[in-house]
Amino acid sequence: MATFLQLLFTGLGIGAIYALVALGFVLLIRAANVVNFAQGQFAMLGAYFLVIGINVLELPYPVAIVMSVVLMAAFGVIFAGATYWPLRHRGGLPVIISTIGASIFLENTVLVLYGPSPEVLPNLFDSPGIQVGPVFMDSQYLAILVSAVLLVGLQYLIFEKTLLGKKLQATSQDKEMASLLGIPVAGMILFTFAYSSMLGGIAGMLVAPVLFVSVGMGGLIALKAFAANIIGGYGSIPGAILGGLSLGVAETMGASYISVPYKDAFAFAMLLMFLMVRPQGLFGEKISEKA
Amino acid sequence: MLITRRTALLGTALAAATPLRFAHAEDTIKIGGIAPITGPAAEAGKFMQYGANMALDAINAKGGVLGKKMEWVVEDDATTNPGAVLGFSRLVARGDCVAYTSSIRSTQVNAVAPDVLKLARPVMFGGTDPSLTHAGNPWLFRTRPNDSFSARVIADFGATTLGKKKWVIVHSTDAFGSNGMKALVESLDKLGIKPVLVQGYTNQQTDFTPVVLAVKEAQPDVIGSYFTFENDLGIFARQLRQLGVTVPWVGSPSIINTTSMKLAGPTLWGTYGVADYNQDSSPEARAYFDEYVKRYKVNPDNQSTWLYDALMILAKAMNDAKSTEPQAIRAAILAIKGYKGTEGTYTFDENGDGLRGYNVVRNEKGQVVFDKHIDFAS
Repeated sequence: MATFLQLLFTGLGIGAIYALVALGFVLLIRAANVVNFAQGQFAMLGAYFLVIGINVLELPYPVAIVMSVVLMAAFGVIFAGATYWPLRHRGGLPVIISTIGASIFLENTVLVLYGPSPEVLPNLFDSPGIQVGPVFMDSQYLAILVSAVLLVGLQYLIFEKTLLGKKLQATSQDKEMASLLGIPVAGMILFTFAYSSMLGGIAGMLVAPVLFVSVGMGGLIALKAFAANIIGGYGSIPGAILGGLSLGVAETMGASYISVPYKDAFAFAMLLMFLMVRPQGLFGEKISEKA
Repeated sequence: MLITRRTALLGTALAAATPLRFAHAEDTIKIGGIAPITGPAAEAGKFMQYGANMALDAINAKGGVLGKKMEWVVEDDATTNPGAVLGFSRLVARGDCVAYTSSIRSTQVNAVAPDVLKLARPVMFGGTDPSLTHAGNPWLFRTRPNDSFSARVIADFGATTLGKKKWVIVHSTDAFGSNGMKALVESLDKLGIKPVLVQGYTNQQTDFTPVVLAVKEAQPDVIGSYFTFENDLGIFARQLRQLGVTVPWVGSPSIINTTSMKLAGPTLWGTYGVADYNQDSSPEARAYFDEYVKRYKVNPDNQSTWLYDALMILAKAMNDAKSTEPQAIRAAILAIKGYKGTEGTYTFDENGDGLRGYNVVRNEKGQVVFDKHIDFAS
C-alpha cells in the first residue's frame, strides 16, 4: 500500500507537469485554432529566463519569477508575429509547420546564446519535502500540483466567466463574425499567444528544479502533454488536466507494476487506446467533427 | 541576364565566403569526427572540442603530422544514432579525411560500425561496450578501457573492499548500459554473488520513482550502476536520497562526470566511481588537468580525455608509419606499446583495445578523490 501511495503521489506530480504544458496547448487551440508544437520550448525558455534571473542577475526567487513571466508574455507576442500572423489566412497546417520550425529555431538559439551546459535551480521551498505517513511528498511536486490547480481555475474563469473569454472564444470560432461584432480580433489573438507563452514558461520554471534546465527539456514533456490533450479531449481545459494526471499516474503505475523499460510505451498505448475507442477523449468533441 | 537585388546579395555573400573556404582548405592532415554539438549531451560535445583543441595544439607545436598541421573536422551527431550515422556519412563524403573519431557512446559507435567497415579507414572511439572491438571490425580502435574491466573493478571494489554481498544493479537499456550490466553480472558471478535485483530503464526519463522503489524494496547493501546520460543520473540520485536509500553506490564513469556532479550535487556525495580518467592517476593525467583547468576554468573528465588520447595516438601512428595509408596507420596503432596517455598506458591488442584498467575514485563533498588504479593483464 505504501508503494502504491508513493507511486500515486509521484504520478500525480508528473501528470501535473504534463497537464500544465497541455493547458498551453488547449489555450491556443481554443482561442486561435493553432496547435503549437513549440509549447515545450516555451517551457524551456521560461526555465532559462529564471536561470538568468537567479544565477546570472542574482535576483531573489520571486522577483526572478515575475521577470521571467513578463518576458515570456512579451515573447509570446513576438512568437505570434513570427509564426502565426504571416500565415493566418493559409489554414492550420502551415501554422503547425511554422511552430515546428520555431521549436527547432528556439532550441538552437538558446544553445548558441547560452551554451550547452545544463543548469540546476533550487526548489521553490527550502525544505526538500514532507513525510506524510509512508509517502514522501517532494515540495516541488507539491508546488506543481498546487500551481496546476490554481492555473486551471484561472483559465476556466477567464474562458467561461469573463467577457474577455467570450471574446477569445468568438475569435476562435469565427474571426470575421467576431470582427463584425466589434471584437478586436488581432488583439485577442496576441493576448492568447502572450498568455499561452506565460503558461508554458511557468510550467518550465516549476519543473526546472526536478528535471534540470537544458535545451532539450521541453521536448521531453511536450509530446506527453500533447497526448494528454488528446486523451482529455481536444481543446478541453478539464480534459487537459485529467488527461495529464491520468497519463502521469498510468505510466508511473505501469512502470512499477509491469515493466520500467516500457514506461513510455504505457503512455502511448493509452493514447492509442483512446484514439481507437474514444477518439473525442474524455471531455472533447470528436476530432473528425472538429476538423 | 537580369541581376536582382537577391542575386547580388547572394553573389556578394559567396564571394566573401570563398577566400575563407580556401584559407580553411590549406594542406592539412584532416581527421573527421562526430560530436554531440546539439542534443542532451551537448555539454559533452563542448568538452570534446576542448580536448581536441589541446591535442591539436600539442601535436602541431611539435611539427604536426608528416610535416603538415593536423586538423579535426567535426560534424554534429545530435546525440542520436541517426545523427551519428548522418554526421559520419557527411565526413566520409568530404573525401579528404585520413582517419576518424567516433563517439564516447557505445550505441552510436554501434550505429556507425557498418559504415566504418565499408570505409576501411581507422576510427578511434570511446564507447565502452566490450563487444564493439570483438565483432570482426578491424578499423575500430578504443581509447578507453572497456566495460569488462569496469565491471570487474566495480564488482571487486564493492564485494571485496567494501565487503558488500547484496547487490542491486541499475542500468540504461541502451547498448552501453545493457552490456555493462551483463559484464557486472558475470563479474559478480565469479565472486559467487547473484544480484537481488537487476533493473533497467530507458534513457531520458522524467521520473525514477518506480526504479527507486524497486531498489528500496530489494533492500540491497550496495548499488552498482551503468547510467548513460547525466540528467538521468541526477534525477535518480535525487529521488534515491529523498526516498531514504543511503547504501553505498559504485557507478560506472558517468557518476563522477563533471556534468553529473554539477546536476546531482550533494546527492552524489559519498558515492564511488570507476573512472578511466583521474588527474592523480599519472603525471600525464596531472599535466593535462593543469593545462585544461588553466585554459577552460573547469575540471576535465573522460569526455575530453578519450578524444585527446585518440588524436595523439593517430598522430603518433601516422608519424611512426610515415604514411596516411589506412593499412599503415592500422599497423602502427596495433604496434603501439607502453604509450603514456591521459587515460592510462596504451598497449593495443589485436582487437583494437588500448587500455585494460580503471581508477577507483570517491566523491568527497563534490571533489573527486583518487583511491587506486587497477590494471588487468587481459
